[in-house]
Amino acid sequence: MVDNAKLKDVAKEVISREDVRLLIGYRPGTYGFRARPAFVENSDQVDELIFSPACVSNLSSYLTLEEKTPLPRGVEPDLRKVAVMVKGCDSRALVQQLVEKAYDREHILVLGIPCRGVVDMAKVENRFPGVISGEIAMEGDNLVFSFDGKEETVPKEELLAEKCKRCRYPTPLISDLLLDDEVERFADDDYSDITAMEGKSTEEKWAFWEEQFSRCIRCYSCRNVCPMCYCEDCVLDRLKPVWARRSVDISENTVYHISRAYHLAGRCIQCGECERVCPVDIPLMLLNRKFYRDVEELYDYEPGIKVEEKPLLSTFSVDDKEDFIL
Amino acid sequence: MAEETREGFEPNIVAFLCNWCSYAGADLAGTSRIQYPSNVRVIRVMCTGRVNPLFVMNALQQGADGVLVSGCHPGDCHYMQGNYYARRRFTLMRNFLEYLGVDPARVRMSWVSASEGSKWKEVIEEVVEGVKAVGPMDQFKRRQLNW
Amino acid sequence: MNGRPKIGVYICHCGINIAHTVDVDEVVKFASTLPDVIVARDYRYMCSDPGQALIVEDINNMGLNRVVVASCSPRMHEPTFRKTLITAGLNPYFLEMANIREQCSWVHEDKIAGTEKAKRLVESAVVKVRRLEPLEVKEVDVEPSALIIGAGIAGIQAALDIADAGFKVYLVEKTPSVGGHMAQLDKTFPTLDCSACILTPKMVDVANHPNIELLTYSQVEDISGYVGNFEVKVRKKSRFVDVDKCTGCGACAEVCRQAGRIPNEFDEGLGMRGAIYIPFPQAVPAKYTIDKENCLFLSRGKCGESPKCQEACEAGAINFELQDEIVEFKVGTIIVATGFDIFDARKKPEYAYGVYDNVVNALEFERLVSASGPTGGNVVIPQRGKKKKKKEDEEELGPVIPKNITFIQCVGSRDKSVGNEYCSRVCCMYTAKQAHLVKDKIPDAEITIFYMDVRAFGKGYEEFYDRVRREGIRYIRGNPSEIFKRGDKLVVKAEDTLTATPLEHETDMVVLSVGLEPRSDRREIIDILKLSSSPDLFYLEAHPKLRPVDTATDGIFLAGCCQGPKDIPDAVGQAKGAASAAMILLASGKVKVEAQTSVVDEATCRGCGFCVEVCPYSAIELVEINRAGWPVMVARVNEALCKGCGACSAACLSGSIQQRSFRDTQILPQIEVLGVK
Repeated sequence: MVDNAKLKDVAKEVISREDVRLLIGYRPGTYGFRARPAFVENSDQVDELIFSPACVSNLSSYLTLEEKTPLPRGVEPDLRKVAVMVKGCDSRALVQQLVEKAYDREHILVLGIPCRGVVDMAKVENRFPGVISGEIAMEGDNLVFSFDGKEETVPKEELLAEKCKRCRYPTPLISDLLLDDEVERFADDDYSDITAMEGKSTEEKWAFWEEQFSRCIRCYSCRNVCPMCYCEDCVLDRLKPVWARRSVDISENTVYHISRAYHLAGRCIQCGECERVCPVDIPLMLLNRKFYRDVEELYDYEPGIKVEEKPLLSTFSVDDKEDFIL
Repeated sequence: MAEETREGFEPNIVAFLCNWCSYAGADLAGTSRIQYPSNVRVIRVMCTGRVNPLFVMNALQQGADGVLVSGCHPGDCHYMQGNYYARRRFTLMRNFLEYLGVDPARVRMSWVSASEGSKWKEVIEEVVEGVKAVGPMDQFKRRQLNW
Repeated sequence: MNGRPKIGVYICHCGINIAHTVDVDEVVKFASTLPDVIVARDYRYMCSDPGQALIVEDINNMGLNRVVVASCSPRMHEPTFRKTLITAGLNPYFLEMANIREQCSWVHEDKIAGTEKAKRLVESAVVKVRRLEPLEVKEVDVEPSALIIGAGIAGIQAALDIADAGFKVYLVEKTPSVGGHMAQLDKTFPTLDCSACILTPKMVDVANHPNIELLTYSQVEDISGYVGNFEVKVRKKSRFVDVDKCTGCGACAEVCRQAGRIPNEFDEGLGMRGAIYIPFPQAVPAKYTIDKENCLFLSRGKCGESPKCQEACEAGAINFELQDEIVEFKVGTIIVATGFDIFDARKKPEYAYGVYDNVVNALEFERLVSASGPTGGNVVIPQRGKKKKKKEDEEELGPVIPKNITFIQCVGSRDKSVGNEYCSRVCCMYTAKQAHLVKDKIPDAEITIFYMDVRAFGKGYEEFYDRVRREGIRYIRGNPSEIFKRGDKLVVKAEDTLTATPLEHETDMVVLSVGLEPRSDRREIIDILKLSSSPDLFYLEAHPKLRPVDTATDGIFLAGCCQGPKDIPDAVGQAKGAASAAMILLASGKVKVEAQTSVVDEATCRGCGFCVEVCPYSAIELVEINRAGWPVMVARVNEALCKGCGACSAACLSGSIQQRSFRDTQILPQIEVLGVK
C-alpha cells in the first residue's frame, strides 16, 4: 500500500514545480469511510492528500472535464501540466485519452499508484452502517476499518469492488512517477457474467434489460463520470438531429443506453465509474463489458493499453469475421 | 396499440445500400424484372462506411421491424475500405443488440455486387422471412404521444 | 438555407413502366399533402424535354427551391435532373430522386403494395430534400507538369509522351542511369531485336528533351497536396562528381584503387566495377558516380596518398565535398513507374541457387548472353566471387562452356509456398528466347526446359514458342523438386508429369526462370503517396478492368510492372495509357472535385482523429485552432482530396464531421418516415 507520508512528499515536490499548475489526488471525504477528489494548487494543500482503498473514483475524468472558460483577449492560456494520481485501472483511461489525442502527453504528469484493490463503498456502508467518520487501510489480504476509536478487520475479498476482482492491470500502464512497488497481476477476467447473460433466451434478455432500462431516470451521471465521454457536445443532447428524445420512457432510455455503450465500444477501459455512480443501480458494466469481451475475442484488441494503438473502429483487418453476413 | 398477429404480418424493413454495389445490384434486379417482396425500403448512401450503426438502433426505434445494411463484397469497395469498417461496426452492434434481447434476425448485413440482381432478391427473401418469423418489433419502438 | 423549402414533386409514369404497377395519381395526391410540398405533378416521361421543361417552368413560376423526381434510379438520371435544376437557376444539389422504377414498379407486381412503397419512397425523398443544402461544384487549377517516378521503359515512354505533348516532365530515377531492367536485357522476345538498340535512343531522348527535367540518382522524399497541385520534394544524391564538368571519359574509373573489386549491379554481380563507375557504357546521363560505401576516400577518409581519380580527372569534376541536394517543385499529376524486383531464388533452397556457381537466375543469364555483358556474350559458367582469390587458376583453366543447359520455369511464380500465387507473365517467353540464344551461340548444346504450363499469349508468342521447339529444345512438363551435384554435373530431380515418370536429369548449368516481384522498397512510395496494394503486393489500380492505370487517388497513375508483371509491349502500352490519362488533366487545366464532401463543425470537434484514421484518401488532418483563447486540435477536410464516402461521419462520436447531402440531419428523417408503416 502506498505510504501516505511519501505520497505527500512527492505531491509537495510536484506541485512546487514551475511547470505544474494543478495536482489532482484524493482526500478524505466528509462522510463515513469515503474519500473524494482533491484539487491541489499549492504546496500548503498537500497535507490533506491520501491514498487508501476508499479512493474509488477515477480522477482521469477531470482531465477532460475541466472546462476551458473563454479567455479575455490578450490573456495567455495556462498550459502547464496537470498532475494526476491514477490507479492501474484509471491509468488505462489516460492511455485511451492519449490514443484519442484528448491532450498532449506533456500536458500531464502521471503519479502512478500500484493498487491492490479498492472497496465497493455500498458494500462497506452495508457492513458498517451509520459510521460518521472512519478510515480504511489494506493490510495483506485484509481491509482494516478504523472508526469510533476501534478497528475491524475484514478479508478484502468480501468488500472489494467487483472490477478489482477481475483486474488485469493493478500497476499503472503509464506513469511519470510510481508511488509504490509494482503490483503483480492478482486476478483475471473470465467474463462469466457476460456468458451467463448470453446464455439466456431472447425473451429473458429483453425482460431483464427492459426492467433495468425502465428504471433509468436519465440523470446522465454515467456519461458525465466516464473518462471517455468528453465530447464538447454529446450527440445525445443534440436537437439537430434528435437521436434520443428527452422523454423518460423505455424507448428513449433504451436508445440512450445503446448509444452510450456503443460509443464506448473499443474505448471503455473498465474503470466501472458509470456503474458506481448510477443512482438506480443499472448494471452498466454488464453492457460495456459485452463490447469489451467481443472486441477482445473478435479483434484481439484491448483498449487503453498502448498509447500508439489505433482506435479500434478506425481500423480493420481484411480477415475480420463475417459469418453472419449474407 | 393492437399487436398484429404473426400470420399476415408484413414486416417493414429499412435498408441502407451503398451506391456503387448493392444499390446498383438492386437496380439490376429491377431491369431484370426479378420479383421480390415489397417490404424493404431503401436509403441510398454512397458507402456502407457512412452507415452509423446507431442508424440501426434508430430504425428499430422508429418502427422498422428489421434493418439491412448492404455493400460491396470485401475488396470491392468503391472507396477501398468502407465496407471493412462497416463490417466491424455492425458485427459489434449486432452482437450487442442480440445481447439486449433484440433478435438477430432483425439486424442483417449482406454483400451484394452490382451484378448480383438475383442475389439481391435472395437476400430480401431471406431477410423478410427471418423478420416475419420473429414478428413485429415493439421492444423499444418509439411510442407516439397523443396529447 | 434558401428560405423556407418550397418543394415540387414530379412523378414519372415512364410510359407504363411505372404506371403499370404504381397508382401514379394516388402517389401525386399523397405527395401534395406532405409538408412544404407546393406542387406535385405527374408526367409520362419526366426525363423528356417537355418533362424537364415542366420542372423548369414550375421553378420559375412558383418559386420552387427544392425538387423531388420520382422515376427511375438516380444512377440513371440524376445527372439529367441536376442539369434541369441548373437550367432553372437552382443549385443542382437541391434535387432528390425516389427510385420507383428499378426498385419498385419493376420488382413488385402487386399494385397496392407497389403504390404503398412508392409513397414511402417519395416521402423519404421529400423529407430529405427539405434539408438539403446548396453545394458548390469546385474546380481546381492543374499545374501543367507531371512527375514520373522511375525511369525504366515505362517511365521513359510516359515521360516522352507527356513532354512531346508540350508539358513539363520531371523524371526521377533512383539509380545513376535511366533504362531500368530493359537495359539489362540482351534480345527481346519474340522479335529478337536487341533490347539496347531499341531502348538507348529513347534514353538519349529523355536526356535531351527540352520539356524533361531528368533527375537521376535521386529519390522522392515527400509529396503533399492533391490532384492538380502536388508539391514534390526530391533528394538528388551526391555523385561526388560535378556532372556539369564530367565528360564521361572514364579516366577516373581506370585508376580507381577499387577497380575490378566491386560487383557491378548492372551485370547482376557477374562483372566488376570500381568505386567510381558508370553502370554500363550507354548509361544516360553518361556521368560517373562515386559509390560512397566502397570509395576508400569517402568511407575511410584515406585513399593512398591521395585519390587517384581526382588526379586522373582532367576536367576537375571530382569533388568529395559535394552534398545531397533537395529539389522542390509543383506538379499537377504523378505517374508511378517504379518497376519490379526479380524473385530471389535463395527462397527456394532446393534449387541450390547461391550454392553452386552453375545455377544462375535468368537475369544473370541475360547478362551472360549479352554482347555487352561481362563475358562479352560468351555463355560460360560464371566464376562468382572467386575472381579475386583464384585469379591465376582461372586463367589457366579458361572459361567453362556448358554443353548441357537446363531451364526451370515458374521459379517464384505460381507458387504459394513463397507467397507468389500469380503468374509473372514473361518467364515462359524469355526462357524460350534464352534457349534460342544458347542454340545460336552453342549449336551443339543440349537444352531442356522444365515447365508447368507454357503461356504464350501475346502477339507472335505462340509462333515463337513453336519455332524454339522446332530448334530441338526439349520441354519437360514438371516442376523439379531438387538440384544436387553428382561429380561435376548438376542433377535436376523431377517428374515428367505427362508420362508420370520420375527422372534425374544431368546437366552442366541450370538457369532459373525467376518471376517478377513487387519491389522490396515499395513501401517508400506507399508511404509517400498513400497507395494501396493488391493481395499480390503490387500497387493497386482503381479498377481492374476500367481504370487499370488509375489509382484511388485522383491525379496519380500507374505504369509498368509496379502494378503487376508485364512484358515490354504491355509496359509501354500502359505507360502510354497513363501518360494520356495524365494529359487529360494537364490539357484541360482544371479538375472538378467532389461536391458531396465532408465538413467539420469545429465548434464541437474534439480532435480525436478517428476520422483522420478512417479516411482512405488522407483527406483529413488535425489542425490547431484557437477556441476562446485556448489552442485546440480539430479535424479539417481537404475538399480537393475528399471523395465523399462518408466513412468519417460514421466514425465520429460527436457527429462533428458530416458528409454533405448525407448528413445525420438528412438521413434520420428518412429513417423516421420509412420506419413508419
